[in-house]
Amino acid sequence: MDPEKIKVILATDCGSTTTKAILIEKIGNEYRQTYRGEAPTTVEAPFEDVTMGVAGAVQELAELSGRKLIDEQGRIIKPCQNGQGCDIYISTSSAGGGLQMMVAGVVRKMTAQSAERAALGAGAIVMDVLASNDKRLPYEQIQRIRHLRPDMILLSGGIDGGTITHVAEMGELIAAADPKPRLGMGYRLPVIFAGNINARAEIERCLQDKTDLSIVDNLRPVLEEENLNPAREKIHDLFLEHVMAQAPGYKKLINWVDAPIMPTPSAVGSILKTIADQKAIEAIGVDIGGATTDVFSVLKGVFNRTVSANLGMSYSISNVVAEAGLGNIMRWLCFEMDESDLRNRIKNKMIRPTTIPQTLKELILEQAVAREALRLAFRQHKSFATTLAGVQQQRTIGDTFEQISSGAGLVNMLALDLIIGSGGILSHAPRAEQTAMMIIDAFLPEGVTLLAKDSIFMMPHLGVLAQVHTKAATEVFEKDCMVYLGTCICPVGQSKQGRPVCRYTLELPAGNTVEETLNFGEMRLIRLGLGEKAKLAAEPTRNFDLGQGKGRRIEQEIIGGTVGVILDGRGRPLNLADDKKRRIEKLREWMLALSVYDQKALEEKGLVGAKAPAGAR
Amino acid sequence: MLTAFVPRSQARPDAAMLVRIRPPVSPRAFDTPSDAGGCITVRWQLSPDDQPGGKLVEGYGIYRAEEPAGPSAALRVNSFKPIDVVPAGTTEYKDSSTDDAKTYRYRLVALSEFENSEPAETPVAQSSLQLFNLNRLNLLVISIIISGTVIFYIQYLKSGRQTFIRKIAGLEAVDEAIGRATEMGRPILFIPGIQDMNDIQTVAGMIILGRIAKTIAEYDTPIEVPTSRALVMTTAREIVKEAYLAAGRPDAYSDDMIYYLTDEQFGYVAGVNGIMVRKKPAACFYMGAFFAESLILAETGNDIGAIQIAGTAMPAQLPFFIAACDYTLIGEELFAASAYLSGEPKQLGSLKGQDMGKIIAMACILFGVFLATLTSVTGSSAILEVLEWFRSFFSVSA
Repeated sequence: MDPEKIKVILATDCGSTTTKAILIEKIGNEYRQTYRGEAPTTVEAPFEDVTMGVAGAVQELAELSGRKLIDEQGRIIKPCQNGQGCDIYISTSSAGGGLQMMVAGVVRKMTAQSAERAALGAGAIVMDVLASNDKRLPYEQIQRIRHLRPDMILLSGGIDGGTITHVAEMGELIAAADPKPRLGMGYRLPVIFAGNINARAEIERCLQDKTDLSIVDNLRPVLEEENLNPAREKIHDLFLEHVMAQAPGYKKLINWVDAPIMPTPSAVGSILKTIADQKAIEAIGVDIGGATTDVFSVLKGVFNRTVSANLGMSYSISNVVAEAGLGNIMRWLCFEMDESDLRNRIKNKMIRPTTIPQTLKELILEQAVAREALRLAFRQHKSFATTLAGVQQQRTIGDTFEQISSGAGLVNMLALDLIIGSGGILSHAPRAEQTAMMIIDAFLPEGVTLLAKDSIFMMPHLGVLAQVHTKAATEVFEKDCMVYLGTCICPVGQSKQGRPVCRYTLELPAGNTVEETLNFGEMRLIRLGLGEKAKLAAEPTRNFDLGQGKGRRIEQEIIGGTVGVILDGRGRPLNLADDKKRRIEKLREWMLALSVYDQKALEEKGLVGAKAPAGAR
Repeated sequence: MLTAFVPRSQARPDAAMLVRIRPPVSPRAFDTPSDAGGCITVRWQLSPDDQPGGKLVEGYGIYRAEEPAGPSAALRVNSFKPIDVVPAGTTEYKDSSTDDAKTYRYRLVALSEFENSEPAETPVAQSSLQLFNLNRLNLLVISIIISGTVIFYIQYLKSGRQTFIRKIAGLEAVDEAIGRATEMGRPILFIPGIQDMNDIQTVAGMIILGRIAKTIAEYDTPIEVPTSRALVMTTAREIVKEAYLAAGRPDAYSDDMIYYLTDEQFGYVAGVNGIMVRKKPAACFYMGAFFAESLILAETGNDIGAIQIAGTAMPAQLPFFIAACDYTLIGEELFAASAYLSGEPKQLGSLKGQDMGKIIAMACILFGVFLATLTSVTGSSAILEVLEWFRSFFSVSA
C-alpha cells in the first residue's frame, strides 16, 4: 500500500500476559498515537487462540475511539472507510516465551559471538552458545542441546575458505543430539547455517536428514566484517513459518497482519536503530521487566542487544540481590534498614510478583533494586557491545605504549546522546524525577546526555511500523512515544567535596539567564519544560571533562523535559561515602535537590529534616 | 715515600745528637669484625710528633710476633718480624695474613729520617671467623623488605583478593590470534629467536610457547616452530608435548611440528620466510632474541595478513617489531609474561613484589638526589650528615 494513503494504523503487541493495542491516526499532516487498549493474552488454555486477546484489546480501542475496528465475523476491518476500520494492521509477539534459540560457532569470541549477536538482534533469547573452545566435552554439548530444546539453532563458523573440520564437528554434534523443537512435535527443528561456504556440503551431509536446514550467507565472510542481516532475516522467516505457526491462533493472526509479525525485542531494536540512524546519534535503550532486562544500543552505527535473563524486578528480583550483593542495594537507601527486613521484603516481592509498593520506604527500596538491576544489565551489555575480535591491526611507532586491541568496547559514555528507559519501574514511577535519578545512578551518563522514557511501551509497535512506514513511526516516536525527562550534565573527574567542578551559563527560553558554579558532590535541578530548549555554555575546571577534553568549554543547545536540566557534580566514577551516616546524608541531599520524592512525605516519615533543599529551584 | 725499613743500627751516626721522636699512642690489636677470619686489625693513635704538615714522622713500621714467644724479653724482641710500613697520619692497619689457630702481638714504630721511635706494643690478639658480616647489614635489610613485599603479595593473592596488574595487550591478544588461525583454517607460526637456550630471552619465549601450545591443543589448530638451534628444538618439543598432554590431547602432538632449520642467521630467515609465503600462517609469534632478521620476518608476516605478536628485550629491534606487528611485548613484559599468563598467586605475587622493590629503589634514588641537591644548595652540615648516612647505607663494603 502506498504509504501516503495510510491514514489509520492499528498495531498490537502480544506479550506473555497482556496484549496491547494502539491506534495511530494521521491528524493534519502528522501521525499521532491517539488511543490505547489492552486485554489479557489468550495463548494459554483454556482459550489457546492468540487472536481472542488481540480482538479484546482492539475492541477496547474501538470503544475508546468510537471507531469500529472489528466486523461481525471478528475480523479487523480494512481498509479504512467512512470512519471505520484501519488502513494497515501490524503486530509483534513475545507470547509463549518469545523466540528461544541456541547458537553455535567455532571460536567463542569470533563466529560464535557473531551468531549470538545475530540471534539477539533478531529478537531471540539465546539459551546457550556452543563453540569449539567452550571447554565442554562433546557429550556435555550434546546433552545441553537435548536438554534445552530451542525453537531453532543458528550454526556459524569459519570464514569463507576457512576451517571446515571445526564447522563439520559442530554439525556432527547437533546431528548426534538429534534435537526436537520446543513447540510442535510434527516438524523438524529449524537449523540455519551461516558459516564457511566451503563447509556447506559437509553440513548438508550431517544435518539435511535430521533437521530443517536452511543455508544463508556467512555471517563472518572475512574476520574483518560482519554480515548479520541474511541470518537475521532467515530467523524472522523461520520464526513465522515454524515457531509462530505452532503457537495457538498465530496462523490466523499471520493472515490478519499487513507486515510480518516481529518478535517484540527485534521490533524495539528496529525503532531504536531507525531513530539513531536518522538523527545520527548514539543511543541506549533499556527495558526492565519482571524476569528479564533487555539493553539495546546503537553505538558508532552498530546495533547491539543483550538480554539479562536473570535480572528483573519481580520473578528475578532475588537474583538481582544475589548478583549485586546486599551492600550494593543498601547503598542507595536514604534510611537505615535491617538486613533481614530487606531480605524479607525482597522475597515477598519475588513470591508475589504483581504487588506494587504500598509505602514510601518500599518504593525507595524497589527503586534501589532497580538501580542495581540496570547497572548489572548495562555492565553485561558493555562487555558484549564490542568491535570485532581477530582483526589484524596496522601500527605505527606512535603506538609503542598504547597498543589498543581489537574487540574493544563500543560504549563511550561521553559520546552517548540519548538514554531511553522503559519497563514498569521506569515508565510508571510516581514522579519523572525518580525515573531520571534511577537512570543516572545506574548508567552513570557522562558529559551531556538526553534522558527519556517510553510512555506506554509503544516501541515494539513502532518498530514493526518502521518496516512499512518509517515516517509515521518516527513521528509518533518523537511526539507520543518518547517522554523526554530532560538533559543530564555530568562532568567527568574527581575532586574534593565542595570544590568547583564547572561554571555554567544557561540561557532559558523565558529570557532569564542562570549563571552559577557547580561544586563537587552536588546535584542541581533547573526546570526546563517539555519542548523547551536552552543554550548551555559550561566551562569545567581543569580536572573535569564534559566531552571536549579536560577544562575545555562546551556550548550547545539542550532540551528540557518533565524533569528539566540535571547538573550532576558527583564526579565519575561515582563514589558513595563508605561511612553510612555521611552516605545517607548525601543521598537525602540529592533527593531533595532533584525533588525525587515528596518532601512532605519524607519529613512525615522522618526520612529527612525540615530544611529546605540547597540545589532545588 | 717510604720504601723500606730504616733499622736503628743503620741510622746515620749523628742521629743520636737529635731529639728522638715519640712512638704512636695506645696501640691495640683485635680480631677484624664481620670477616671470614685470617685478619687482625691494628689500631693506634698518632705519635705526638706526627702532626699535619710536620716532617718528623715519615711513617709507621709494623712488626708482628707469634705468641707464645721466647722466655726472655730479648728473645721476644728478636721474634718480632717486620710485616709492613704505612705512611704518616695512618691510624689503622689490617693484617690479612694471620692464622686463626695462632695468637699475635704487634709492635708499632714511628719512623723518622734520622732515628726511629721506641716501639709501642699491643696486647695479644687472635683472628677468628664471624657468622654474620655486619658490614652488609644494609643488604639484609633491603632483602627483607623486597622479600617481604613478595611474600606479602603472594599471601594477599592466595587469600583470593585481587590486585591491579596492568594489561599487556600483546598477551591479551594471544587467544585472539589463535582464534583467528582456527577460524581461517591456517597454521600458527612460532619463532623462538635465533639465540640458544643460555639466553634468558629464549627461555622466556619457551615459557610463552608452553602457554600458546596449550591453547592451540584446545582449539585443535596446527602449529609450526622452526628453530635455529638444536637445543631450542629439543626444549620446544618437550614444552609443546607437555602442553598437549595438559590439554588432554596427547594424540594430537607430533614431533614434526617443531623442527631445526639452520644455525646460520640469514639461512634461517630465508627458510622461515619460505614457510610463511607457502603456508600463509594466520598468526605469527616472535618471542626471544632477534637481530637483523626481525624486520624481514615481521614484514613478511604483515604482508601475508597474519596477526603478529612479538616480544624481545633487544632495544634495537623493538621499533621494527612495533611498526610491523600487531602487538609487541617490550623488554620486561617478555619476562613478566609467564606470571601474567598463568594468573597463579605465586607468580603474580612475585611480579608484584618485584615491582614494589623497583618502586622503593626509585624512591630512594630520588630521595638521595634531593638530599644531595639540598646539601649543595644550603651547605648545611646536618643535611650532609644525613646524606652521608644515606649513602653509606647503600654502600656495600667487604
